[in-house]
Amino acid sequence: MKKFWSFLLVAVLCMSLLAGCGGGAAVDEEIDYPTATITAICPWSAGGGTDTFLRAICAATEPILGQTITVSNTTGGGGATGHGAIIAAEPDGYTIGMITFELNSLPPQGLVEFTYEDLDPLLRLNMDAAAITVPIDAPYDTLEAFLEYCKAHPGEVTVGNAGPGSVWHLAAGVAEQECGVTFNHIPYDGAAPAVTDLAGGHIDAVAVSSAEVLSQVKAGTMKILAVMAEERNPNFPEVPTFTEEGYNVVFGTWRGLAVPTGTPDEIKAILVEAFTEAYEDADFQELATSLGLGLAYQNTEDFKAFLAENAASVENTMKTLGLIE
Amino acid sequence: MDGLLQSFAAVTQPDVILAIFIGVAGGTVLGALPGLTATMGVALLVPFTFGMDLINSMGMLLGIFLGAMYGGSIPAILIRTPGTPAAAATAMDGYPMGQRGEAGRALSMSLISSVSGSFIGVAVMIFLSPQISKFALKFSSAEFFSLAVFGLSIIIAISGNSISKGLMAAFFGLLLSTIGSDPINGLPRFIFGRMELYEGPPFIPTLIGLFAVSEVLAGAEKIISAKKINAKVDRILPARKDFIKCFPTIIKSGLIGCFIGAIPGAGGDIAAFVAYGEAKRSSKTPEDFGHGAIEGVAAPEAANNGCAGGAMIPLLSLGVPGDAVTAILLGALTMQGLQPGPLMYLEHLPDVHNIFAAMIVGCFCVFIVGALGMKVFARVISIDKKLLLPCIMILSLVGSYSMRNNIVDVYITIIFGIIGYLFQKYHYPLSPILLALILGPMAERNLRRYLVISSGNFDFIYTRPICTVLLLAAVASLIISLLNQRKITRNLAKAEAEGRYRDEFGSDEAPR
Repeated sequence: MKKFWSFLLVAVLCMSLLAGCGGGAAVDEEIDYPTATITAICPWSAGGGTDTFLRAICAATEPILGQTITVSNTTGGGGATGHGAIIAAEPDGYTIGMITFELNSLPPQGLVEFTYEDLDPLLRLNMDAAAITVPIDAPYDTLEAFLEYCKAHPGEVTVGNAGPGSVWHLAAGVAEQECGVTFNHIPYDGAAPAVTDLAGGHIDAVAVSSAEVLSQVKAGTMKILAVMAEERNPNFPEVPTFTEEGYNVVFGTWRGLAVPTGTPDEIKAILVEAFTEAYEDADFQELATSLGLGLAYQNTEDFKAFLAENAASVENTMKTLGLIE
Repeated sequence: MDGLLQSFAAVTQPDVILAIFIGVAGGTVLGALPGLTATMGVALLVPFTFGMDLINSMGMLLGIFLGAMYGGSIPAILIRTPGTPAAAATAMDGYPMGQRGEAGRALSMSLISSVSGSFIGVAVMIFLSPQISKFALKFSSAEFFSLAVFGLSIIIAISGNSISKGLMAAFFGLLLSTIGSDPINGLPRFIFGRMELYEGPPFIPTLIGLFAVSEVLAGAEKIISAKKINAKVDRILPARKDFIKCFPTIIKSGLIGCFIGAIPGAGGDIAAFVAYGEAKRSSKTPEDFGHGAIEGVAAPEAANNGCAGGAMIPLLSLGVPGDAVTAILLGALTMQGLQPGPLMYLEHLPDVHNIFAAMIVGCFCVFIVGALGMKVFARVISIDKKLLLPCIMILSLVGSYSMRNNIVDVYITIIFGIIGYLFQKYHYPLSPILLALILGPMAERNLRRYLVISSGNFDFIYTRPICTVLLLAAVASLIISLLNQRKITRNLAKAEAEGRYRDEFGSDEAPR
């Protein structure tokens, strides 16, 4: 027994020595990365859209990097805990994370002390525009007719969203502002209950993403009037965009990858390359499409610019909605 | 019907049965471990089922769902630690039974009730889906508020011996449920700058703290004097007498579970408490409840398993998930290229039948897993307290951490452990806190949402029939429980005089 323990001790010592050498050599020579399991932090719980998306892209990236990527769901605080965990992680390349829209909507509400500038964005992978969806038997078939109805009934049209200050609440607010109408905003605990209430005819419209209403629209119980995207959604090619209808409304949620600030540039380059290759993988693309998630790739530079622009626009909208002062 | 028979042929292939069996066995383990839930198991498995056949993947996922609903009751009975929130009601009577040396009797009743409840849920799902789903869609904010009020009305039934202490516990729970973001304007309330509390007190860590950790603390008090508890399991099926006694309760509870499960947004935890309240109301000996009444195990277990079938109803026929697990199943079905909703019955009837058949096979698997495991599970109770208590403590802390990978949840578990210990010490019941934590936010959110929709109009009380019925039922349930409580006090006094319950009342042990 004694022999076993001394063997174990020696083995552990040797391994830590080796690990030390690996780290030391990496600084001056070509970087040896990754040599261990990578953790990917997901700020939302298992089973949700963000989690499924992150797990899919990680599964596609694993063979490229030759290492396992473990998804860790650090949730709570409306995304605050997970984003905070990414920011606070060791910047050694072995912790990456998926960042979402809430990174830009939590700071203006004074709920968190960090902003998007406190981490290093890598890539944007997804963007889902808000869509105005109404029951199939609603008396309006076009955005124009809907807006006219809203103008005739100011403040009466109930529009469901995923919660106060959520992306879909802000989307409805942006539409309200640009189209000169007033909605009655109804906050739910997430997008799904809002869609359920629309299916039951308890509210007039929802302003959630087309992915959330995909099954209901396909089943013919709801119709999408317009999407707040730059281009039409490939899942619903017949649905116009707000821009086509003459309103400058582009708004939606997004998901991307980021690493803690201070992660070495060589490592970031490896990650960007690997995840870009995984993004182009046919299986991954198919999966994202089947989930109704819009693929919207942006490289690091564009993503940085996008984040800055998005943060400003979110803060503005919150002010006009009276969510912040 | 022919289609369903064909589906049985497809489902009874060895590989499909294996998939379902693995799902059920895995689900039972997940359900039995505090902090790990069916939702988590299903969510983690979905990505792996993408490459599988529809029937294999759905079979395995549904197996987890059914298994976890059953598995939660095992630790609830043995160590008073509900493995899932839906099993919290089972602990009220299951644990006293176990402590009395009747763990085998409680486990066998829990198994047969779970299996029967699953069958009832599946049967309703197969035959009444279209009708029930139409009804389920009628539930909106006003109806959910009324349902929550009705649920709160059973607090007296779960209060134990003192209504005032039960109410105090319930109001404590309601007060806790105001922590977190305001549901309408999003402003944080009572979070003291801790974003971890922004979504309210995390439910699972609170549950583990109140029940498991408090039990460890209470157990540590008398760790030396603890006597060995008999854990013999002499039968897998309950005695004929017990079964006959519980049969009406099982049927009724299975149906209650199925209907509540079918309402999107209400799940197994609420169903189990409502079924428990109803079982106590209709019992001839309501004074036994809380002291190890066998119907008190049968009712919640039949209800939470009935819920699984019920939750599938709106999912398949409307494309609207009935609870958190079916929300993930919706994603899994979509990934398989199936679009749940009204068209699914028309365009993919064979697939619907396969799902039905897989659930029926799943019910049998629950029975097999439970029957095989029962003797092993029951041994837990006879483990020396000196070894068992530290294990429960570690399991509780790991379980609370695993929910959100957040250390704050561990602190919350410990804090609620201490609170729960003090409550027990001074003979306050714990279940009302839990019920209030489940229903408080539901009542508040829905009432306030409805008032936003209706611009502050309260006339739903009489203009919406479902609300009227539920609110009247709440009033009736309150009155009946108050009357019942008198009878219970009377009978208890008599029973004490005769020497029943002496063991529980004699020492400083809290009656619950």
